[in-house]
Amino acid sequence: MNAVKILIADDHDIVRKGLRVLIEEHPGWVVCAEARSGREAVEKTVQLTPDVLVIDVSMPDLNGLDATRQVRKLCPRTEVLVITHHDSDEIAGAVLDAGARGYVLKSDSDRDLVQAVEALSRHKPFFTARVTEIFLANRGSREADPAKSLHNRLTTREREILQLLAEGKSAKEVASLLGIATKTCDTHRTNIMRKLNVHSIAELVRYAIRNKVVEP
Amino acid sequence: MIHRIYNDPALRSNRVYTVMNSATPARIMLSDDHSFVRRGLRNLLESTDQYEICGEASDGNQTLELARALRPDIVILDISMPSPNGLEVARQLHESLPEIKVLVLTMHDSAEMLRAAVAAGASGYLLKSDDEKLLINALQCLRTGRHFVSPSFDAGLARQLFQ
Repeated sequence: MNAVKILIADDHDIVRKGLRVLIEEHPGWVVCAEARSGREAVEKTVQLTPDVLVIDVSMPDLNGLDATRQVRKLCPRTEVLVITHHDSDEIAGAVLDAGARGYVLKSDSDRDLVQAVEALSRHKPFFTARVTEIFLANRGSREADPAKSLHNRLTTREREILQLLAEGKSAKEVASLLGIATKTCDTHRTNIMRKLNVHSIAELVRYAIRNKVVEP
Repeated sequence: MIHRIYNDPALRSNRVYTVMNSATPARIMLSDDHSFVRRGLRNLLESTDQYEICGEASDGNQTLELARALRPDIVILDISMPSPNGLEVARQLHESLPEIKVLVLTMHDSAEMLRAAVAAGASGYLLKSDDEKLLINALQCLRTGRHFVSPSFDAGLARQLFQ
Protein backbone atom coordinates (compact mmCIF):
# COMPACT_ATOMS: atom_id res chain seq x y z
CA MET A 1 0.00 0.00 0.00
CA ASN A 2 1.24 3.48 -0.81
CA ALA A 3 1.96 5.90 2.00
CA VAL A 4 -0.73 8.47 2.80
CA LYS A 5 0.62 11.93 1.94
CA ILE A 6 -0.39 14.68 4.32
CA LEU A 7 0.18 18.43 4.06
CA ILE A 8 0.09 20.55 7.22
CA ALA A 9 -0.93 24.22 7.08
CA ASP A 10 -0.81 26.38 10.21
CA ASP A 11 0.92 29.70 10.81
CA HIS A 12 2.19 28.63 14.24
CA ASP A 13 5.53 26.74 14.23
CA ILE A 14 4.70 24.94 17.45
CA VAL A 15 1.34 23.67 16.21
CA ARG A 16 2.88 22.43 12.95
CA LYS A 17 5.55 20.65 14.92
CA GLY A 18 2.97 19.00 17.19
CA LEU A 19 0.90 17.88 14.22
CA ARG A 20 3.95 16.55 12.41
CA VAL A 21 5.05 14.48 15.41
CA LEU A 22 1.55 13.08 15.85
CA ILE A 23 1.18 12.19 12.17
CA GLU A 24 4.64 10.72 11.76
CA GLU A 25 4.10 8.39 14.73
CA HIS A 26 1.49 6.67 12.61
CA PRO A 27 2.88 3.97 10.31
CA GLY A 28 2.22 4.61 6.63
CA TRP A 29 1.66 8.34 6.96
CA VAL A 30 4.10 10.95 5.70
CA VAL A 31 4.06 14.71 5.98
CA CYS A 32 4.90 15.78 2.42
CA ALA A 33 5.14 19.51 3.21
CA GLU A 34 4.19 22.30 5.59
CA ALA A 35 2.61 25.66 4.81
CA ARG A 36 2.41 28.84 6.91
CA SER A 37 -0.43 30.60 5.09
CA GLY A 38 -3.56 29.71 3.16
CA ARG A 39 -1.94 30.82 -0.06
CA GLU A 40 1.09 28.62 0.50
CA ALA A 41 -1.24 25.73 1.35
CA VAL A 42 -3.08 26.07 -1.98
CA GLU A 43 0.18 26.33 -3.95
CA LYS A 44 1.75 23.29 -2.29
CA THR A 45 -1.44 21.24 -2.56
CA VAL A 46 -1.61 21.88 -6.29
CA GLN A 47 2.06 21.01 -6.65
CA LEU A 48 2.18 17.89 -4.43
CA THR A 49 -1.46 16.63 -4.49
CA PRO A 50 -1.50 15.25 -0.93
CA ASP A 51 -4.20 12.78 0.10
CA VAL A 52 -5.15 14.94 3.06
CA LEU A 53 -4.63 18.63 3.76
CA VAL A 54 -4.76 19.47 7.48
CA ILE A 55 -5.45 23.20 7.66
CA ASP A 56 -6.01 25.86 10.33
CA VAL A 57 -8.78 28.46 9.88
CA SER A 58 -7.06 31.68 11.02
CA MET A 59 -4.06 32.26 8.80
CA PRO A 60 -2.51 35.30 7.12
CA ASP A 61 -2.84 36.15 3.38
CA LEU A 62 -5.64 33.68 2.72
CA ASN A 63 -7.65 32.14 5.54
CA GLY A 64 -8.08 28.39 5.87
CA LEU A 65 -11.69 28.33 4.72
CA ASP A 66 -11.09 30.22 1.50
CA ALA A 67 -7.98 28.11 0.90
CA THR A 68 -10.20 25.03 1.39
CA ARG A 69 -12.62 26.29 -1.29
CA GLN A 70 -9.74 26.74 -3.75
CA VAL A 71 -8.23 23.35 -2.94
CA ARG A 72 -11.54 21.56 -3.41
CA LYS A 73 -11.87 23.19 -6.81
CA LEU A 74 -8.29 22.72 -8.00
CA CYS A 75 -7.54 19.30 -6.42
CA PRO A 76 -10.81 17.48 -5.78
CA ARG A 77 -8.89 14.28 -4.83
CA THR A 78 -7.33 16.02 -1.84
CA GLU A 79 -9.56 15.76 1.25
CA VAL A 80 -9.47 18.70 3.65
CA LEU A 81 -9.42 18.41 7.43
CA VAL A 82 -9.98 21.75 9.14
CA ILE A 83 -8.54 22.25 12.63
CA THR A 84 -9.42 25.32 14.60
CA HIS A 85 -9.47 26.82 18.07
CA HIS A 86 -12.81 28.46 17.28
CA ASP A 87 -15.46 26.49 19.07
CA SER A 88 -18.43 28.20 17.44
CA ASP A 89 -21.50 27.01 15.58
CA GLU A 90 -20.91 29.61 12.93
CA ILE A 91 -17.47 28.27 12.05
CA ALA A 92 -18.71 24.67 12.02
CA GLY A 93 -21.26 25.63 9.34
CA ALA A 94 -18.70 27.61 7.35
CA VAL A 95 -16.28 24.67 7.38
CA LEU A 96 -18.88 22.45 5.72
CA ASP A 97 -19.83 25.17 3.22
CA ALA A 98 -16.18 25.49 2.19
CA GLY A 99 -16.11 21.82 1.20
CA ALA A 100 -14.06 20.32 4.04
CA ARG A 101 -15.13 16.82 5.01
CA GLY A 102 -13.49 16.78 8.40
CA TYR A 103 -13.38 19.22 11.31
CA VAL A 104 -11.48 18.86 14.57
CA LEU A 105 -11.04 21.39 17.35
CA LYS A 106 -7.53 21.99 18.60
CA SER A 107 -8.82 21.12 22.06
CA ASP A 108 -10.10 17.73 20.87
CA SER A 109 -7.94 14.75 21.62
CA ASP A 110 -5.04 13.47 19.54
CA ARG A 111 -7.10 10.36 18.93
CA ASP A 112 -9.80 12.45 17.22
CA LEU A 113 -7.22 13.88 14.85
CA VAL A 114 -5.79 10.47 14.03
CA GLN A 115 -9.26 9.07 13.40
CA ALA A 116 -10.12 12.05 11.23
CA VAL A 117 -7.02 11.64 9.04
CA GLU A 118 -7.68 7.91 8.83
CA ALA A 119 -11.28 8.45 7.66
CA LEU A 120 -10.38 11.17 5.17
CA SER A 121 -7.55 9.14 3.66
CA ARG A 122 -10.28 6.63 2.75
CA HIS A 123 -12.42 9.51 1.42
CA LYS A 124 -14.88 9.15 4.28
CA PRO A 125 -16.04 12.26 6.19
CA PHE A 126 -15.18 12.69 9.86
CA PHE A 127 -16.87 14.88 12.45
CA THR A 128 -16.78 14.51 16.22
CA ALA A 129 -20.12 13.84 17.90
CA ARG A 130 -20.25 17.39 19.22
CA VAL A 131 -19.78 18.91 15.77
CA THR A 132 -22.40 16.63 14.26
CA GLU A 133 -24.83 17.89 16.88
CA ILE A 134 -24.11 21.49 15.88
CA PHE A 135 -24.74 20.68 12.22
CA LEU A 136 -28.04 19.00 12.99
CA ALA A 137 -29.18 21.82 15.28
CA ASN A 138 -28.35 24.43 12.63
CA ARG A 139 -29.87 22.67 9.67
CA GLY A 140 -32.23 24.98 7.87
CA SER A 141 -31.47 28.04 9.94
CA ARG A 142 -28.13 28.75 8.25
CA GLU A 143 -29.58 29.78 4.89
CA ALA A 144 -31.83 32.27 6.63
CA ASP A 145 -28.89 34.19 8.11
CA PRO A 146 -28.68 37.44 6.07
CA ALA A 147 -24.98 38.01 6.76
CA LYS A 148 -24.16 34.52 5.54
CA SER A 149 -26.09 34.77 2.31
CA LEU A 150 -24.55 38.18 1.69
CA HIS A 151 -21.11 36.69 2.20
CA ASN A 152 -21.94 33.87 -0.20
CA ARG A 153 -22.68 36.39 -2.91
CA LEU A 154 -18.99 37.28 -3.10
CA THR A 155 -16.91 35.28 -5.54
CA THR A 156 -13.84 33.37 -4.35
CA ARG A 157 -11.59 36.07 -5.79
CA GLU A 158 -13.60 38.80 -4.10
CA ARG A 159 -13.37 37.07 -0.71
CA GLU A 160 -9.64 36.71 -1.24
CA ILE A 161 -9.31 40.43 -1.96
CA LEU A 162 -11.58 41.29 0.98
CA GLN A 163 -9.20 39.51 3.34
CA LEU A 164 -6.07 41.15 1.91
CA LEU A 165 -7.65 44.64 2.07
CA ALA A 166 -8.83 44.00 5.63
CA GLU A 167 -5.26 42.99 6.55
CA GLY A 168 -4.27 46.52 5.58
CA LYS A 169 -2.79 45.92 2.14
CA SER A 170 -3.22 48.62 -0.52
CA ALA A 171 -4.95 47.94 -3.84
CA LYS A 172 -1.53 48.04 -5.48
CA GLU A 173 -0.08 45.48 -3.06
CA VAL A 174 -3.09 43.22 -3.49
CA ALA A 175 -2.78 43.46 -7.25
CA SER A 176 0.89 42.52 -7.25
CA LEU A 177 0.30 39.66 -4.79
CA LEU A 178 -2.43 38.17 -6.97
CA GLY A 179 -0.75 38.99 -10.27
CA ILE A 180 -3.60 41.18 -11.53
CA ALA A 181 -3.75 44.84 -12.65
CA THR A 182 -4.32 47.51 -10.00
CA LYS A 183 -7.31 48.65 -11.99
CA THR A 184 -8.84 45.17 -11.90
CA CYS A 185 -8.28 45.12 -8.16
CA ASP A 186 -10.05 48.50 -7.84
CA THR A 187 -13.01 47.11 -9.77
CA HIS A 188 -13.15 44.09 -7.46
CA ARG A 189 -13.05 46.37 -4.43
CA THR A 190 -15.89 48.50 -5.81
CA ASN A 191 -17.94 45.34 -6.44
CA ILE A 192 -17.25 43.96 -2.97
CA MET A 193 -18.31 47.22 -1.34
CA ARG A 194 -21.46 47.38 -3.44
CA LYS A 195 -22.40 43.77 -2.68
CA LEU A 196 -21.80 44.14 1.05
CA ASN A 197 -23.39 47.58 1.09
CA VAL A 198 -20.42 49.22 2.80
CA HIS A 199 -19.05 52.64 1.89
CA SER A 200 -15.56 52.91 3.30
CA ILE A 201 -12.50 50.77 3.89
CA ALA A 202 -13.07 51.11 7.64
CA GLU A 203 -16.53 49.57 7.26
CA LEU A 204 -15.08 46.86 5.07
CA VAL A 205 -12.53 45.99 7.73
CA ARG A 206 -15.26 45.91 10.36
CA TYR A 207 -17.32 43.59 8.18
CA ALA A 208 -14.31 41.30 7.65
CA ILE A 209 -13.61 41.07 11.38
CA ARG A 210 -17.24 40.48 12.31
CA ASN A 211 -17.56 37.70 9.81
CA LYS A 212 -14.24 36.17 10.81
CA VAL A 213 -12.59 36.70 7.43
CA VAL A 214 -9.67 38.09 9.47
CA GLU A 215 -8.81 38.02 13.16
CA PRO A 216 -9.38 41.21 15.17
CA MET B 1 23.65 27.61 42.72
CA ILE B 2 26.54 25.85 41.02
CA HIS B 3 28.75 27.96 38.83
CA ARG B 4 31.32 26.90 36.33
CA ILE B 5 34.25 29.07 35.43
CA TYR B 6 35.65 28.83 31.96
CA ASN B 7 37.59 30.62 29.34
CA ASP B 8 35.76 31.59 26.19
CA PRO B 9 38.23 31.06 23.32
CA ALA B 10 35.84 32.73 20.88
CA LEU B 11 36.50 36.05 22.55
CA ARG B 12 40.28 35.69 22.10
CA SER B 13 40.95 37.22 25.48
CA ASN B 14 41.83 35.93 28.90
CA ARG B 15 38.82 37.32 30.65
CA VAL B 16 37.03 34.80 32.79
CA TYR B 17 33.28 34.47 32.72
CA THR B 18 30.96 32.73 35.11
CA VAL B 19 27.96 30.98 33.65
CA MET B 20 25.16 28.96 35.08
CA ASN B 21 25.86 25.27 35.10
CA SER B 22 23.87 23.84 32.22
CA ALA B 23 24.34 20.23 33.36
CA THR B 24 21.10 20.31 35.35
CA PRO B 25 18.18 20.68 32.98
CA ALA B 26 15.50 23.19 33.96
CA ARG B 27 12.16 21.61 34.86
CA ILE B 28 9.38 22.89 32.63
CA MET B 29 5.66 22.40 32.97
CA LEU B 30 3.36 22.81 29.96
CA SER B 31 -0.10 24.30 30.26
CA ASP B 32 -2.23 24.54 27.12
CA ASP B 33 -5.64 23.11 26.24
CA HIS B 34 -4.44 22.23 22.74
CA SER B 35 -2.77 18.86 22.66
CA PHE B 36 -0.93 19.65 19.39
CA VAL B 37 0.69 22.64 21.04
CA ARG B 38 1.79 20.59 24.06
CA ARG B 39 3.12 17.90 21.76
CA GLY B 40 5.03 20.43 19.66
CA LEU B 41 6.52 22.05 22.77
CA ARG B 42 7.50 18.72 24.26
CA ASN B 43 9.17 17.64 21.04
CA LEU B 44 11.05 20.93 20.71
CA LEU B 45 12.26 21.05 24.30
CA GLU B 46 13.16 17.40 24.55
CA SER B 47 15.44 17.79 21.54
CA THR B 48 17.70 19.92 23.78
CA ASP B 49 19.41 18.66 26.92
CA GLN B 50 18.73 21.95 28.71
CA TYR B 51 15.12 21.28 29.57
CA GLU B 52 12.96 18.49 30.85
CA ILE B 53 9.16 18.42 30.85
CA CYS B 54 7.95 17.53 34.32
CA GLY B 55 4.22 17.72 33.62
CA GLU B 56 1.39 18.78 31.30
CA ALA B 57 -1.92 20.42 32.13
CA SER B 58 -4.87 21.24 29.87
CA ASP B 59 -6.86 23.67 32.01
CA GLY B 60 -6.37 26.29 34.70
CA ASN B 61 -7.23 24.25 37.77
CA GLN B 62 -5.09 21.35 36.68
CA THR B 63 -2.21 23.79 36.10
CA LEU B 64 -2.44 25.19 39.62
CA GLU B 65 -2.70 21.76 41.17
CA LEU B 66 0.21 20.31 39.20
CA ALA B 67 2.40 23.36 39.76
CA ARG B 68 1.89 23.08 43.52
CA ALA B 69 2.77 19.40 43.44
CA LEU B 70 5.67 19.50 40.98
CA ARG B 71 7.27 22.92 41.71
CA PRO B 72 8.66 23.37 38.19
CA ASP B 73 11.25 26.07 37.45
CA ILE B 74 9.14 27.48 34.64
CA VAL B 75 5.50 27.11 33.53
CA ILE B 76 4.78 27.71 29.84
CA LEU B 77 1.25 29.03 30.03
CA ASP B 78 -1.49 29.65 27.45
CA ILE B 79 -3.99 32.47 28.13
CA SER B 80 -7.17 31.25 26.41
CA MET B 81 -7.84 28.19 28.50
CA PRO B 82 -10.86 26.91 30.37
CA SER B 83 -11.39 27.45 34.10
CA PRO B 84 -9.67 29.65 35.19
CA ASN B 85 -7.90 31.35 32.25
CA GLY B 86 -4.12 31.78 32.01
CA LEU B 87 -4.06 35.31 33.44
CA GLU B 88 -5.83 34.17 36.59
CA VAL B 89 -3.49 31.16 36.83
CA ALA B 90 -0.46 33.46 36.51
CA ARG B 91 -1.85 35.72 39.26
CA GLN B 92 -2.43 32.83 41.65
CA LEU B 93 0.94 31.25 40.93
CA HIS B 94 2.66 34.58 41.46
CA GLU B 95 0.96 35.00 44.82
CA SER B 96 1.43 31.53 46.23
CA LEU B 97 4.57 30.26 44.46
CA PRO B 98 6.54 33.33 43.33
CA GLU B 99 9.70 31.28 42.71
CA ILE B 100 8.01 29.59 39.74
CA LYS B 101 8.56 31.66 36.61
CA VAL B 102 5.73 32.02 34.12
CA LEU B 103 6.28 32.29 30.37
CA VAL B 104 3.02 33.20 28.64
CA LEU B 105 2.72 31.61 25.18
CA THR B 106 -0.33 32.95 23.41
CA MET B 107 -1.92 33.83 20.08
CA HIS B 108 -2.93 37.25 21.49
CA ASP B 109 -0.79 39.78 19.63
CA SER B 110 -2.04 42.68 21.74
CA ALA B 111 -0.26 45.22 23.95
CA GLU B 112 -3.24 45.16 26.33
CA MET B 113 -2.88 41.44 26.87
CA LEU B 114 0.88 41.83 27.33
CA ARG B 115 0.29 44.48 30.02
CA ALA B 116 -2.28 42.29 31.74
CA ALA B 117 0.06 39.29 31.72
CA VAL B 118 2.95 41.28 33.20
CA ALA B 119 0.60 42.76 35.81
CA ALA B 120 -0.44 39.22 36.70
CA GLY B 121 3.18 38.35 37.38
CA ALA B 122 4.39 36.74 34.14
CA SER B 123 8.14 37.07 33.48
CA GLY B 124 7.91 36.39 29.76
CA TYR B 125 5.45 36.86 26.89
CA LEU B 126 5.82 35.01 23.61
CA LEU B 127 3.45 34.67 20.64
CA LYS B 128 2.50 31.36 19.09
CA SER B 129 3.23 32.96 15.73
CA ASP B 130 6.83 33.71 16.78
CA ASP B 131 9.67 31.59 15.46
CA GLU B 132 10.14 28.51 17.64
CA LYS B 133 13.80 29.43 18.20
CA LEU B 134 12.61 32.36 20.29
CA LEU B 135 11.09 29.95 22.76
CA ILE B 136 14.54 28.70 23.69
CA ASN B 137 15.78 32.30 24.01
CA ALA B 138 12.83 33.15 26.22
CA LEU B 139 13.37 30.14 28.49
CA GLN B 140 17.06 30.97 28.75
CA CYS B 141 16.20 34.51 29.84
CA LEU B 142 13.72 33.36 32.47
CA ARG B 143 16.16 30.77 33.74
CA THR B 144 18.79 33.38 34.38
CA GLY B 145 16.39 35.74 36.13
CA ARG B 146 15.73 38.03 33.18
CA HIS B 147 12.50 38.92 31.40
CA PHE B 148 11.48 38.24 27.81
CA VAL B 149 8.97 39.94 25.52
CA SER B 150 8.26 38.85 21.95
CA PRO B 151 10.07 41.08 19.40
CA SER B 152 6.66 41.67 17.79
CA PHE B 153 6.13 44.32 20.46
CA ASP B 154 7.77 47.71 20.74
CA ALA B 155 11.03 47.31 22.69
CA GLY B 156 10.35 50.56 24.58
CA LEU B 157 7.03 49.24 25.83
CA ALA B 158 8.65 45.98 26.93
CA ARG B 159 11.33 47.81 28.93
CA GLN B 160 8.79 50.12 30.51
CA LEU B 161 6.60 47.22 31.64
CA PHE B 162 9.37 45.53 33.58
CA GLN B 163 10.72 48.64 35.27
